[in-house]
Amino acid sequence: MKISKIAATLVVALSAMSMAQTNARDIMVKVKNRPDGDTRSSSMEMKLVNKSGNTRVRKITSYAIDVGEDTKTIMFFLYPNDVKGTGFLTVNYDDVNKEDDKWLYLPALKKTRRISGKSSKTDYFMGSDFTYDDIGKRNVDEDTHKLLREESADGFDYYVVESTPKKEGEIFSKKLVWIRKDCDVVAKVEFYDKLGKLHRQMVSSDIKKVDGFWTVGKMEMKNVQTGHSTELLFLDPKYNIQLDSKIFSVNKLERGL
Amino acid sequence: MIKHVIARNKVTKQSMISLALSAAFALSAHAQDELSLQLNGFVDSYHALQVQSPHKIMSSRTRLRLEMRANYGEASLFSSVNLAYNSLIKDQSGAFLREAFFDYAGKYLEVKAGRQIITWGVADGLRLTDLISPMDYTEFMANDYDDIRVPVNAINLKYPGESFSAELVFVPVPEYFVMPSGEDNPWTMPLPANTSMDLSGTPEKRIKNSEVGGRLRFFLENLDFSLTALRTFNKSPVTIANFNPETKSAVIKGVYEPMNVVGGDVSIPVGEIVIRGEVAAYFGEPIALNNSRDYWLRKTFNALLGVDWYAGDNWTFMFQYMHKVIMDYREVLGTEQNTSMLTARISKELLNNTLKLSVYGMVDVDNIGFYVRPAADYLLNDQITISLGGDWLGGRRGTFKTYKKNTQIWVKGKYFF
Repeated sequence: MKISKIAATLVVALSAMSMAQTNARDIMVKVKNRPDGDTRSSSMEMKLVNKSGNTRVRKITSYAIDVGEDTKTIMFFLYPNDVKGTGFLTVNYDDVNKEDDKWLYLPALKKTRRISGKSSKTDYFMGSDFTYDDIGKRNVDEDTHKLLREESADGFDYYVVESTPKKEGEIFSKKLVWIRKDCDVVAKVEFYDKLGKLHRQMVSSDIKKVDGFWTVGKMEMKNVQTGHSTELLFLDPKYNIQLDSKIFSVNKLERGL
Repeated sequence: MIKHVIARNKVTKQSMISLALSAAFALSAHAQDELSLQLNGFVDSYHALQVQSPHKIMSSRTRLRLEMRANYGEASLFSSVNLAYNSLIKDQSGAFLREAFFDYAGKYLEVKAGRQIITWGVADGLRLTDLISPMDYTEFMANDYDDIRVPVNAINLKYPGESFSAELVFVPVPEYFVMPSGEDNPWTMPLPANTSMDLSGTPEKRIKNSEVGGRLRFFLENLDFSLTALRTFNKSPVTIANFNPETKSAVIKGVYEPMNVVGGDVSIPVGEIVIRGEVAAYFGEPIALNNSRDYWLRKTFNALLGVDWYAGDNWTFMFQYMHKVIMDYREVLGTEQNTSMLTARISKELLNNTLKLSVYGMVDVDNIGFYVRPAADYLLNDQITISLGGDWLGGRRGTFKTYKKNTQIWVKGKYFF
């Protein structure tokens, strides 16, 4: 009798846990699939601020196109002038088992390099506090998701989801993600290091509709361990613009804007 | 006395006329489009000191690089000029036109005409199929790789596809390697007494001595590859000695022969690594005989295997092995039948990518010679980079051993605008 009670309790607990995980995954899928048009473009300005307050600036123009469930993105670095003309082309596959295709054009060498689609995801992007993964579209099934709670703050309702990477080699052991319920936008993320200590904290702001699509205008990432922070501004976002698929090519990467 | 291989690309009346004609053509073709102009460039100053006694100054140069681009719709005009002052090598001071080309990007055809740098292949710092733009060895390899490449006057036609491109290059007058020369240049190879060098015998400027090549490139999921064919010359001269018994002197002459090249390259990403390969067969490459008085033409086969490891945390490791085989080999040839080269490049970025530590190494396996170039680049701010590094050369035999005394440390400052 006692054993059957325990078993029943376990079944209920496991079902609840499974449901929580399923719900959390569904929430993350909704976030990833939030409508953003079939094509989009944006100018990005990054301000990198170190602990002493010294600021560096990075300017980038990017274009993206959805091809089925996959996304192609091409970025051109505009500033500073030592990296001006550098281009980065990515094919981001929805299939978790497929590595992204990536090419980097280096104008000083006048050469395009095929680069690993795997490792650069965990590297920091242009010296900022954002990894390539943070600014790209990380596949939902690369992490296990758990809905921790729902909460309200600043007049909005949030899901709080804990995401734990399935594979080793990631730079975070887990992350807590605050998702605004009304628009499926990630409002805040806390990244924890391998020792379980808070490592980086990201906050989104200036969340508004542009061309009918929910858009983040500003993201701030702070490395709480080093004091270095990065402010990322998305300027002039556009959706469903006319883009020739040929611009997502190595040839265009080498020609530049 | 050493004659110069190539007149330096000083800004001449002809180059300015060529630029003006290109500009007029661009303007007339796209007069209805909006004009936009860009001006960028940098100022850099580089100074090197010999490590061993007598600790001579090996290099001291400062230059202003101006890069101008004018865009008219799909057409553009680009020029790049160096204004340089070299306190050691006199003919390296002055105004030098580096690139100047007209560029048009149509939907199905792209045209680039004028003075330009053309790079082919996937090798890092080594040349198998990348033969059109030769190397400027004025300071041997003690320079940034992009500064070592020599631009060529060419017409480059390209079909730009999404995952495929086809390129045709025509170079009416090919350019050749620039070798260190002059007594004021510490990189000039020492010659025995009563010996002079004459590398001026480059092929005549005739249409039969032009250079033409094509390249097909494919960019696929998990695979890039290209196929190339080129009619070119051995741009690094083979040297043979002519001895004059009457004057008891010798002249070392440079030999340039036409040769055909077919080859290709491949890049395959596998997890955290990218495997690169490049092959090229040279038909009719001149090889000096071991008596140094003549040469034979031979078919040679060149292959390179490279591995790039993007290890994460801003570590990059790149290793290459290159092998050359001379076909139909005879003992009278002055080169081993099989020769090989190893290279390694390791870099790590620190302090939010403001500090880059790197080392590039090259090993001449057969001569047990080596060249190592460690460097530290620190970004003071968005405009200024300061670099500290060295060039360490040595070994048992070969060019690297010859330059052992040139082992140096250097410092460089660069301001971008």
